[in-house]
Amino acid sequence: MRNMVLNNVRPFIDGKFGEPTKMCLVDGAWTDTAPAGTDEFDAKGALALPALFGLGLDFKEPLRDDIYTFRDGVSAMRRGGFFGGLYESSANPIDDSQKLTAMQQLASKSGLEFAFLGAFSMGYQCKDLSEMVELAQGGAVGFGDGNQNSARTRFLRLAMEYGSMTGGRFFFMPLDDSLRHHGLVHEGSYADTLGMKGIPRIAETIAAFRILEMARFLKVPVHFKQVSCGETLRLIDLARTQGVDVTCDVDVYHLLLDDSCLFDLDSHCNVQMPFRSAEDREALWKGLESGVVDAISMNHDPVLRQDKEVNFEDAVPGAVSLEVALGAIWKPLSERLGAARAVELLSTAPARLAGVRPSAIAKGERTDLVLLDQDRACKVVPTMLTGKVRNTPLLGKELPSSVVGSYIGGEWTEV
Amino acid sequence: MSALEIKHLFGLRGVSKHDIRLILDNAKQFREVLERPVKKVPSLRGMTVVNLFFENSTRTRTSFELAEKRLSADTVNFTSSNSSVKKGETLVDTLRNIEAMKIDIVVVRHKGTGVPKFLADNSNAIIVNAGDGAHEHPTQALLDMLTVEEKLGTLEGKNVTIVGDIRHSRVARSNLWGMTTMGAHVTLCGPSTLVPRNTELMDKVTWETDVKKAVKNADAIIALRLQKERMDDALLPSMREYRNTFGITHELLECAKDKVLIMHPGPINRGVELDSEIADGENSVILNQVTNGVAVRMAVLFLLAGGRANA
Repeated sequence: MRNMVLNNVRPFIDGKFGEPTKMCLVDGAWTDTAPAGTDEFDAKGALALPALFGLGLDFKEPLRDDIYTFRDGVSAMRRGGFFGGLYESSANPIDDSQKLTAMQQLASKSGLEFAFLGAFSMGYQCKDLSEMVELAQGGAVGFGDGNQNSARTRFLRLAMEYGSMTGGRFFFMPLDDSLRHHGLVHEGSYADTLGMKGIPRIAETIAAFRILEMARFLKVPVHFKQVSCGETLRLIDLARTQGVDVTCDVDVYHLLLDDSCLFDLDSHCNVQMPFRSAEDREALWKGLESGVVDAISMNHDPVLRQDKEVNFEDAVPGAVSLEVALGAIWKPLSERLGAARAVELLSTAPARLAGVRPSAIAKGERTDLVLLDQDRACKVVPTMLTGKVRNTPLLGKELPSSVVGSYIGGEWTEV
Repeated sequence: MSALEIKHLFGLRGVSKHDIRLILDNAKQFREVLERPVKKVPSLRGMTVVNLFFENSTRTRTSFELAEKRLSADTVNFTSSNSSVKKGETLVDTLRNIEAMKIDIVVVRHKGTGVPKFLADNSNAIIVNAGDGAHEHPTQALLDMLTVEEKLGTLEGKNVTIVGDIRHSRVARSNLWGMTTMGAHVTLCGPSTLVPRNTELMDKVTWETDVKKAVKNADAIIALRLQKERMDDALLPSMREYRNTFGITHELLECAKDKVLIMHPGPINRGVELDSEIADGENSVILNQVTNGVAVRMAVLFLLAGGRANA
């Protein structure tokens, strides 16, 4: 634990930012005074937001620590202002309680709040069920398939039916593998012009519909990750009115980019769920406004430089986001939806989806916060990013706002 | 002498009318060179061109190689089947190693869209696209345009119909951009599983599913090669049905103008997209296309190298 005095800072309290003030942070909590000699930081009027919660974290450890480590991920979280996240391992599916315990032990040393998704099948193979009851008893908050989308309908039914005993939510990135075929990008005008194989919207809506029908039939709660088009949001909205327990998120980059970025042929824009059209992007924003979308997700997915510094179609899909997300999204988000809804979408709602107590800024309470200078633009350079990776589509671009520092779990990080 | 605005040739989308005109006019001069007893000029003497082909190619590579030799360049052929790429070397490393041998121009063919631009971003060499995925094949379109101009005098106001697998065709895309820039009207025609569905960016062209209507007013018809893999991928039921529905046949040409030019980028599937009697008939300019290919590639290489000497 480190004590800290933040001067000239505007804390977010009761849904709005206060006047510049002094915050004494002692043993992780906001107090009236700090011991003499406590380090001080002049925030120069920066906003103090409740620290964020990241949905869709994958730090690659233990099996692919050549790409990225848990330590890299934790460092990225502190630099980006995240007090916790929902972790789903692609390299090492958490399909038994030993693996879950190992990950929990790794996370416990971080000082951050992690929740874990278990795999509903062994090795994401969708052939044998995992021991979901034991995983849930061990603390898994829900179940997923590592974005594989390979479950045949009967297996999906059995997995969700068995998993319903746990009360856990099932998480899916809806994408019909057969319709995806060899597609890499949104099937639209840009893909047609470039001659690239596309992924149609119906690959998402058909997959979502199958899962919604299953959820309705079995009465199992489901969550859709990285919804990318308005049609899926309409399906979700309709299902909710019919009593299906369904939540969803949209990826932070999908709010910032659309398929027009393909013309640059930047392999950093090769991501798992493709950037869709400008109309789809607007539909996602409208989903945030209407409340159909529950949260904004991060989907932090490190990819080695040599796997990105190739031509677009040969690149490994994926993007890191933690270090750049807040600086990129805060201004457009808060200007369009207001600061309170922005904080809800980035911090409160994603934490609740993962069953984690949200962070808040209140005197006398544990305080995890991130300092943001909303009017100081910054350029994304490789040194902003943790570890060996630099796979963000925003590399070299200017962000409208800058993260200045974070105080999370009693630890101060100056950016 | 006027210079090209482009530094590399990635494709014809966005290339100005000025540049295309310059290439075609230079190609016409080189076309005359190819008719001389001594078919060689010293324009690229001392320059080294690498033909970097990651996909199989006979005619395009041969055409480029001949163009380079006619311009007196030193040429090196590099194919993926006999290269370090097979040993796992990355594309950038391959290029940088070749570049370290002091080369000037790279002619590249690759299955991936955008590879020529990617190479240009990572090297100092002049890059010429010899086909990247289903994206573009600009020199093929340029030679098609040269052939139309040679036979009809101009592209301005001419109707060019492209029939076949538009979705997977880099030839169709390059022709679409190049021909429309030069004032031709392009009609695209093919089976519904082989034409792009999203046409907002292709609003310069006419789409037609009825091949008889598509060829009716055409001054030139370009038949595209139908890949057998399209059947394996369930995009078409059979070669037979394709031939009967979209093949360029004698019966179909009864619906077209008498003097319509018949073109094909080769190699031809005789009896599928093009009947033999048409491919070898009096309207066919397919072999002119092949000859013009060398001239166009000479012009592209010469102009991109800076037009250092007169042809």
